[in-house]
Amino acid sequence: MDSAVLSRNNVKVFGRGTQPMLFAHGFGCDQNMWRFVTPAFADDYRIVLFDYVGSGKSELAAYDVERYATLNGYASDVLDVCHALELQNVIFVGHSVSSMVGVLAANREPGLFERLILIGPSPRYINDSPAYVGGFERSDIEGLLETMDKNYIGWANFLAPAIMKNPDHPELASELVTSFCSTDPVIARRFAETTFFADNRSDLAEVEVPSLVMQCSDDMIAPAAVGEYVSRELRGSTLRHLRATGHCPHMSHPEETVAVMREYLRSPVKGAQSVARIR
Amino acid sequence: MSRESAELLGTRARADRGRPALDPLLDLAPCGFLSFLDDGCVCAANRTLLEMLGYSPDEVLDKHIELILAVGSRIFYQTHFFPLLRLHGRADEIFLLLRSKSGEDVAVLANAIRRERRGEWVTDAVLLRLIERRKFEDALLEAKHVAEQAVAAAEDANRAKSDFLAMMSHELRTPLNAIGGYVQLLEMGVHGPITPAQAEALGRVTRSQQHLLRLINDILNLARIESGRIDYDLQTISLNDIVMATIPMVEPQIAAKGLRYDVDVPIGLKAAADREKLEQIVLNLLSNATKFTHEGGSLHIEGALVPDREDLVELRVSDTGVGIPADRLELVFEPFMQVESSHAARVEGTGLGLSISRDLARGMGGDLTAESTPGVGSTFTIRLRRG
Repeated sequence: MDSAVLSRNNVKVFGRGTQPMLFAHGFGCDQNMWRFVTPAFADDYRIVLFDYVGSGKSELAAYDVERYATLNGYASDVLDVCHALELQNVIFVGHSVSSMVGVLAANREPGLFERLILIGPSPRYINDSPAYVGGFERSDIEGLLETMDKNYIGWANFLAPAIMKNPDHPELASELVTSFCSTDPVIARRFAETTFFADNRSDLAEVEVPSLVMQCSDDMIAPAAVGEYVSRELRGSTLRHLRATGHCPHMSHPEETVAVMREYLRSPVKGAQSVARIR
Repeated sequence: MSRESAELLGTRARADRGRPALDPLLDLAPCGFLSFLDDGCVCAANRTLLEMLGYSPDEVLDKHIELILAVGSRIFYQTHFFPLLRLHGRADEIFLLLRSKSGEDVAVLANAIRRERRGEWVTDAVLLRLIERRKFEDALLEAKHVAEQAVAAAEDANRAKSDFLAMMSHELRTPLNAIGGYVQLLEMGVHGPITPAQAEALGRVTRSQQHLLRLINDILNLARIESGRIDYDLQTISLNDIVMATIPMVEPQIAAKGLRYDVDVPIGLKAAADREKLEQIVLNLLSNATKFTHEGGSLHIEGALVPDREDLVELRVSDTGVGIPADRLELVFEPFMQVESSHAARVEGTGLGLSISRDLARGMGGDLTAESTPGVGSTFTIRLRRG
């Protein structure tokens, strides 16, 4: 077991099952985002949580500008964690950008994964007119970067009130500081750029691992048309529309999220090859 | 209205879930007040906020919060703001750009708390409009950006300077060596006998050529040190050997000025040093001491373990020369610096020797320092790790 990876990516393992469920958080958060859904699977699966390098309580010193300049670097984190724990038949659960990270990881080592569960996936956020509508223009993403700059400028400032108001609970303050994206504004900004300027459309057709695409209602980050595109391109995928609105159903509507995931996990593994023949 | 906004405005039957009975006082507040559910549905907004954005209550209530956010802030809401509220129950001083009905950006600072009300989780947010602060923050970010660029540009320029110096020094040495070589041939009479006057002239050419060569070698050394392109081959070296190897190189000048000197360096005293570089430092110190000491003066070279520091050794070169005023003592280690003295005419040299010597000493893990009393003399001390 490679303990260096386990501490680098702040890996947490729990649950009473044997088959691993690996949860990969999205941009802007860390493994804490899964805490409303993981208890539902802990009886039947081995739950594996981690933080990407640069997020949460990962080792910031391990951040490498070149490695994390593309989503492939983040896919390497996923594979490193799988290898460090010697995982097999992995059920990969990825939120948002991690959907594409999961796709890249599954294309590099298809034998490692049994299924992919993709929550709010988008292979490209920027419009590529007229053929593809991702939902954003470059200027929109620059607006996000500006908003991030403004909020990270006084990082200590906007975390400070909670710390000052809870002097008896310093653990709350430390959780707050470490569980919100990254405390390093430069890394957070780079992650935003890597995420929102990525184009992984051509990687979808390569995927051999069966997958579930969970599409929220009124998700402005991954609109319905994008979810349908992803599902069309992914062989052996199942598309499920959720009543949940927004982009984070596992936080806003955990019950429905858990129910849809359970139903998919109970269904037999859909062979990607046979689906390909039917198409 | 864009397709997207039409979608946001689409009917979502919400009844009055979580909708607080707004205290009329809130409408008078000088800042915006907004309540919304976990799914982003707006359930209350005070008049201040509505006026800030140019909406009527019906245009906002039961609609998604994204309706009143600029696009960048919608992403920030989904990736940062909502997760923060959901995981920690509150958010403080979040910068957001709101979008008014007429499409203008309105910058606000938001404080928000998520709590249960009538069986529904509701977030109540207070929105403070930013006008001046945003300008200050823009200026601050811009200044930070400019400063970062300036630092990068300065580093580039310094690197370019060192590279240029190294390249130029190298290019200058080649023709200078040719000048030296041909003068030597002329002096040897290879091209026919020369008159005493010609010999004297050639001697001046040679001295000038050698002076230029030293100057260029010093610049090249400095450039190499500054660009970090210098390797140190640290070995256990006898300090006595170094002194004995160096003294003959300055002996002619010592003799010419009638200086006395004595060496007190124990045979067994060893340092971890690069032989060639240590010789260069010692030669520089001896040559300086000779240059700045009046005729009839004396030099003293002494080596010892550093008291209370068994891991260090030192070599001290003392003279009875003109000395250096205390306030100029550190300046002698600056490149191109010579301390002017009323007692001595300006002495020939580049002013790079001590700067290079200190860099070399530090490069070997040691240091070079000076003590001096004007009119009495100076002592330069090389400290090195014990070998």
